[in-house]
Amino acid sequence: MTVPGPTDSVEAIARARAGDSEAWGDLYRVYAPAIFRFCRRALPTREDAEDATTEVFMKVRDKLHQYDATRPFTSWLYKVAANHCWDLLRRRKIRQDKETEDLDTLPLEHPDANQLEQLIEQRTSEEVRKALDKLPSRARMALVLRYYSDMSYDEIADELGVRRAFVGVVLLRARHELRQALEGSGALAAGGAG
Amino acid sequence: MSSPPGTNLQGKNRQHLDEMTILLYLEGQLERAKAMDVSAHTQECGSCRVLLRALERESRLLTRAMLEEDEPLPARLANFQQAVKRSMQWIWMVTFGLAATGVYALYTSYIEPVQSRLQDAGFGGTNLLGLLIFQGAFWKGWQSMVSLVEILALVIIGGSALLLFRRWFRRGALAALLVVGMCGALMMPSNAAALETRKGETIEITKSETIKGDLLLTGHRIVIDGTVDGDVYAFGQDIEVNGHITGDLLTGAQSVRVPGQIDGNIRAFVNNLTIPGTVGRNVMTWSQTMTLDGKGSIGRSLLTFCQTLGIEGKVGGDVTAFDQTLRLTGTVSGGVDAKGEMLTITKTAEVTGPVKFEGESQPRVEDGAKLHAGNIEFTKHSEKDRSENRRSYLLHRLLWTSSFILYGLVLIWLMPKFAVDTVTSAENIGASLGLGVLAGISLPFAGVLICFTFVGIPLGVLGVILWLVMIFSAQIVFGGLIGRWILGRTEDVWGRVGRMALGMAIIGVTVPILHEIPMVEFLFKLVIMAWGFGAIALTMYKRIARSSGAVVLPPMVA
Repeated sequence: MTVPGPTDSVEAIARARAGDSEAWGDLYRVYAPAIFRFCRRALPTREDAEDATTEVFMKVRDKLHQYDATRPFTSWLYKVAANHCWDLLRRRKIRQDKETEDLDTLPLEHPDANQLEQLIEQRTSEEVRKALDKLPSRARMALVLRYYSDMSYDEIADELGVRRAFVGVVLLRARHELRQALEGSGALAAGGAG
Repeated sequence: MSSPPGTNLQGKNRQHLDEMTILLYLEGQLERAKAMDVSAHTQECGSCRVLLRALERESRLLTRAMLEEDEPLPARLANFQQAVKRSMQWIWMVTFGLAATGVYALYTSYIEPVQSRLQDAGFGGTNLLGLLIFQGAFWKGWQSMVSLVEILALVIIGGSALLLFRRWFRRGALAALLVVGMCGALMMPSNAAALETRKGETIEITKSETIKGDLLLTGHRIVIDGTVDGDVYAFGQDIEVNGHITGDLLTGAQSVRVPGQIDGNIRAFVNNLTIPGTVGRNVMTWSQTMTLDGKGSIGRSLLTFCQTLGIEGKVGGDVTAFDQTLRLTGTVSGGVDAKGEMLTITKTAEVTGPVKFEGESQPRVEDGAKLHAGNIEFTKHSEKDRSENRRSYLLHRLLWTSSFILYGLVLIWLMPKFAVDTVTSAENIGASLGLGVLAGISLPFAGVLICFTFVGIPLGVLGVILWLVMIFSAQIVFGGLIGRWILGRTEDVWGRVGRMALGMAIIGVTVPILHEIPMVEFLFKLVIMAWGFGAIALTMYKRIARSSGAVVLPPMVA
């Protein structure tokens, strides 16, 4: 899986780092749509996403000297965006998901695969996006980091402040919650062994 | 570390895998052995295979749903960069407008009057370009000190022009153009070829000797009894001109005595200057004591910055004096414009033009003194003057700071990397200050003496120019450092400009406060100069060492 977004423009990045405002403008034009989408997925409202996009680019501009040119620029960009969005959510204290819940309590189940297939078959991208909007912040953020930004489990653990070993649990729980939102019932999430 | 739930296979192949295990397998998070077990299981177990496929499709659906551009970039975000750029252009225009006004006001309020005063005194007629193009060794005129501001203005105007035309040039080409242009100006034909140098404990140009061309003399005691058909540059302890110099005398010494004849001008940085002889044109001097003996004469004007000035002889033109004490017993064919504590005009004195005196107390005029233009125009320094002076000083500081900010802006734009490196070097306080004191003092000496003597005037002048540019830039470096201390580091050009401007503003506020305490302002400025100068020198040294592959020495002081 590759990181979504445009191919890194090494020259433009180097010039932007050297203070070239036109190169910076180029970077903005190229990467702003992807970062806006990221913020749109991670944050509850469109207005939040718009504000966050501009703030992320302000931060990127300030922190550009910290960017390690040996690593993909897009990954770094998403990391800055993820940090910003997660900080925003934390500051607002709107993380309604069960953060204090013991992750070990997730039951080891084998859901009805056919029912799950059917659900996936029937749902459109738009419905998935709407369902995502209904998810608690951490579940949504976890899914966005993994399936939009293509972050590794280590990066997600670092970002969300959970132990690396429990990233899978966070992701699976997020999927269950998404299925609940899509289905409108907990049938699939708590599907019995087949 | 405890194991995460769900990573264990539930029994052997006969039992179904839990969803967590399949997800971790799908995402490549299982260890190799476990992954192989899962792979083998899904080959045999249809239900687990379907679940694996369903989870995989779910992942794809998630990614697709999130990546699809259902919402285009909002217009306000699309225009954000343009808006920023537009506002930046607006800021540029305002900044340049203000700074240009500042430079112009600075020039017209402070520089031009001084220049016109110099011109009145017979030292005018040349400007920076004229000096560069037509005279080459322009530094031989003291007014080059005044021209520093012209250089500053020139750099700013040049930088602004380059900014305007930056679409047509790349930055490197611009810098090269500047350097080439500057070198070209400096390499213009000069009279360097005719320069003869002499040095030693005692130098004597004997009576029978005639030297054609310019002469550079450095020694403890210098005596010119013969004739020099050209200019003389003399640096020593005691200098005496008994003979004849057809050109100018430019001198720095403890004591200079001119009983002989100089057809041109005298420009002197000396402790005591005594002229019992004849000077054909003008005299300009910074000295403790200057005396024009009774037999002495100056063909044109006299401009002095002295503690004590005595005019017993004859001055053909105007006298402009910034002296503590002026005693006039001789003849002045022009006017007298004096500022200081005391002016005494004795009964033997004669002044053709008007006499103006600005000072603490009334001038003393003895009966019998001939003042052809009537009474002395006296202006007493009062409290009001002082408050006006204070206002004028603050305005001067404001304009000066604005000019520096603009100058710094141009420098940061032209040399962004060097600007950052220099401020970083400045963070190394000990090394910067140490090197600043060392290089700040030694470079001009080296430039004037070594380069001038052995290498040639163009390189010597280039060295002095470099020194002057560094001195001017030192304050900007210090401003940048203060800004960085307060706001932290940034790679953004505007961030750097903002930090530099903040630092300069702080310096601009601090200096007038320190101005109230004697010597403290001077020391503060000195430290800033040395610090910034050292940082520039350190950065240049590192660059040279890096490009030449030499080992960069650790800072002198930690």
